[in-house]
Amino acid sequence: MSDAAMAPSDGVVEGEQMSGGQTTEQRAAARGGSAAAPLLEVDNLVKHFEIRGGLLGISKLGAVRAVDGVSFSVTEGETLGLVGESGCGKTTLGKVILRLLPPTAGSVNFEGKSLFDLSSRELKAARRDIQVVFQDPYASLNPRMSVGEIVGEGLYVHGMTNKRERESAVRDLLKRVGLNQQHIHRYPHEFSGGQRQRIGIARALALRPRFIVCDEPVSALDVSIQSQVLNLLSDLQDEFQLTYLFIAHNLAVVKHLSTRVGVMYLGKLVELSDADELYQAPAHPYTKALLSAIPVPDPTVRRERIVLKGDLPSPANPPSGCRFHTRCPMAQEICKVEEPPLRDVGGGHMSACHFAEEVTPLGSE
Amino acid sequence: MTLTARSTGPLLEIRGIKTHFFTQDGVVKAVDDVTFEIGHGQTLGVVGESGCGKSITSLSVMRLIERPGRIVAGEILLNGENLLEKSDADMRDIRGDQVSMIFQEPMTSLNPVFTCGDQIAEAVQQHTAVSRREAWDRGVEMLRVVGISDAKRRASEHPHQLSGGMRQRVMIAMALSTDPDLLIADEPTTALDVTIQAQILEVMRELREKNRMAIMLITHDLGVVAEMADEVVVMYAGKVVERSDVKTVFGSPHHPYTQGLLLSIPRLDERRERLQVIKGTVPSPLHLPEGCLFKRRCPHRMKVCDTPPPYQEVGPSHVSRCWLTPAGEAPDVGADATGPEAEQAAEALTVAAR
Ligand SMILES: Nc1ncnc2c1ncn2[C@@H]1O[C@H](COP(=O)(O)OP(=O)(O)OP(=O)(O)O)[C@@H](O)[C@H]1O
Ligand SMILES: Nc1ncnc2c1ncn2[C@@H]1O[C@H](COP(=O)(O)OP(=O)(O)O)[C@@H](O)[C@H]1O
Ligand code: SF4
Ligand code: SF4
Ligand SMILES: [Mg+2]
Ligand SMILES: [Mg+2]
Repeated sequence: MSDAAMAPSDGVVEGEQMSGGQTTEQRAAARGGSAAAPLLEVDNLVKHFEIRGGLLGISKLGAVRAVDGVSFSVTEGETLGLVGESGCGKTTLGKVILRLLPPTAGSVNFEGKSLFDLSSRELKAARRDIQVVFQDPYASLNPRMSVGEIVGEGLYVHGMTNKRERESAVRDLLKRVGLNQQHIHRYPHEFSGGQRQRIGIARALALRPRFIVCDEPVSALDVSIQSQVLNLLSDLQDEFQLTYLFIAHNLAVVKHLSTRVGVMYLGKLVELSDADELYQAPAHPYTKALLSAIPVPDPTVRRERIVLKGDLPSPANPPSGCRFHTRCPMAQEICKVEEPPLRDVGGGHMSACHFAEEVTPLGSE
Repeated sequence: MTLTARSTGPLLEIRGIKTHFFTQDGVVKAVDDVTFEIGHGQTLGVVGESGCGKSITSLSVMRLIERPGRIVAGEILLNGENLLEKSDADMRDIRGDQVSMIFQEPMTSLNPVFTCGDQIAEAVQQHTAVSRREAWDRGVEMLRVVGISDAKRRASEHPHQLSGGMRQRVMIAMALSTDPDLLIADEPTTALDVTIQAQILEVMRELREKNRMAIMLITHDLGVVAEMADEVVVMYAGKVVERSDVKTVFGSPHHPYTQGLLLSIPRLDERRERLQVIKGTVPSPLHLPEGCLFKRRCPHRMKVCDTPPPYQEVGPSHVSRCWLTPAGEAPDVGADATGPEAEQAAEALTVAAR
């Protein structure tokens, strides 16, 4: 799995575009040439965490099926939103894409090339191209490093060893994300939550990435700060032609930023569609229930409310057939035995429900 | 819980309370002159961003403020009786019996060592003279009421064996087992997924109807407030900046902070290209600005805003702590007024605390 040739199943390879030594200009040119091809392709990705037990902790008791066969692709310049309840596998999926966790099975291609068998040089390039912004602006910044060191670290690792050059690049980045350039020598604890999230964004931007995984980037922020950071993310997307995988549990936030939205349930992608369409005409009962559960900030609106029964089942022991059948208001006998595949229910709108065609739009009471 | 007291006046009246923390770095005025009331069976939503004093307000009502904090002024009247004059023993009876509280993180308030059933039974026995057996049965019954399936088995389980949503329901069951007049719920669903939040809110709504219980619902989620509350109090940096019924606050907010909050949230039912933002951040409680606490972030700031603004009536049962007139214009005293002139104008416009 190093410099070896790629497995045939990895599909078309556009080798030239992946070489690490290209300049930003060259890479930008290459980008323009392949606008329609997906930038990122996730194919049947599986990530299980083994549960071990017994006296020595070595007997296998089972596995948490955190991500259990997920496929989708992300086009250059778009934002794919990913929503779902806590524990459904969003972060795990993001971490596998970021190569922070090894996959159990499946593949992730970036520009047609599998991320799991790159040469070390290609790996370094991929690390530049794919960056992350985490949820917790407190935990994700090293408290002993100054803002300048945090944002400039990646630049140093990737060869910008001249201190003055690096500092000026960092100042540019701080300005770009709306931070005071004078604060370059300050430490994370001297900043508010929203400012720390801006530091995290500046760090992610430093290497001029093409793809950023945003894992709940505004969930820890107050509403007034949340809107500032969301606007910043969309401005940066325009300016740097960024592609986002935007993970969040707040559907209103996701809808605001996303071109398309995927909905996960217990390790599976259950629906994937154009963002507006997903909200207007959900094709999966779980999506519909999720939408109906969101309180509307308007006391004059009373919307249909679907209250799901029970809790989320454990991903270590997911229900048979359709994983949602234990809580689904539309469930039939077949749902307990036969797993519905993710299929196109019209115009690229994907749903994994036997009765997708019968899901009605969310009504008003 | 005397019936005569129930039928007259509001259930809870908070008058001018100030809860300050005397820290090494200075005095944090966490709650600074807060006044509002809650009627029997009413739900009051308290909204505001983190640090604005929501939790300290509720802990003040429960008299659970710990050093270096202290309630330094004001009155808290429950059924007409001032809680700040009660002995600690009386307060213990009132807590749980007349007022119950649920917290954001249920794990911190549930004891990990005892089963859920034991903890509810304990709460019941503290407030009613029943046998252990009866108390336990009431506990199981309450678990059923809050929608926990298989309540009998769950009652014998320990808190860590339950999911977050179930724990929050156990908390609610415990808080409601004594049939309180007032439930104080501090961010009861913030840590939960929306589908579980919907379940919890439904339980709260049902119990409110059935028991005519009043709720003080603290949250930063404007959606939850719009859905649950009759009246709304908006807090900013320790002060109430706006207060009215829920339709008025959402439909015609007066205070620039409330307006900003409502415009800055992304919504499912609209597509906004850009979100409006409230610029800047909440001021540090140790370095509050002179005059209006919101002035550094306010798009309508005037010179007169360097003087503390009036808490004025801007509509029927609608008050706002801002210099702008009810129509949103510069005050009669003039946008540039300063000093005693401005102070007198503020005093004249301020509604009497009630
Ligand atoms: N290192 C690990 N070992 C074992 N199980 C894990 C590990 N990391 C995650 N899991 C489990 O995998 C499942 C998916 O977790 P993940 O963090 O991806 O969820 P998520 O969708 O990001 O949730 P949230 O909305 O709470 O962030 C959960 O059941 C979680 O407990
Ligand atoms: N124990 C304490 N010591 C000093 N300051 C405190 C303490 N508890 C709370 N505060 C301060 O009081 C203010 C209000 O806090 P709180 O009521 O918890 O806000 P919230 O609206 O988020 O619930 C904040 O500025 C907070 O930092
Ligand atoms: S397949 Fe059956 S259980 Fe699953 S979502 Fe569709 S109707 Fe519900
Ligand atoms: S008093 Fe002045 S600064 Fe404060 S909210 Fe009103 S207009 Fe804005
Ligand atoms: Mg996560
Ligand atoms: Mg709080």
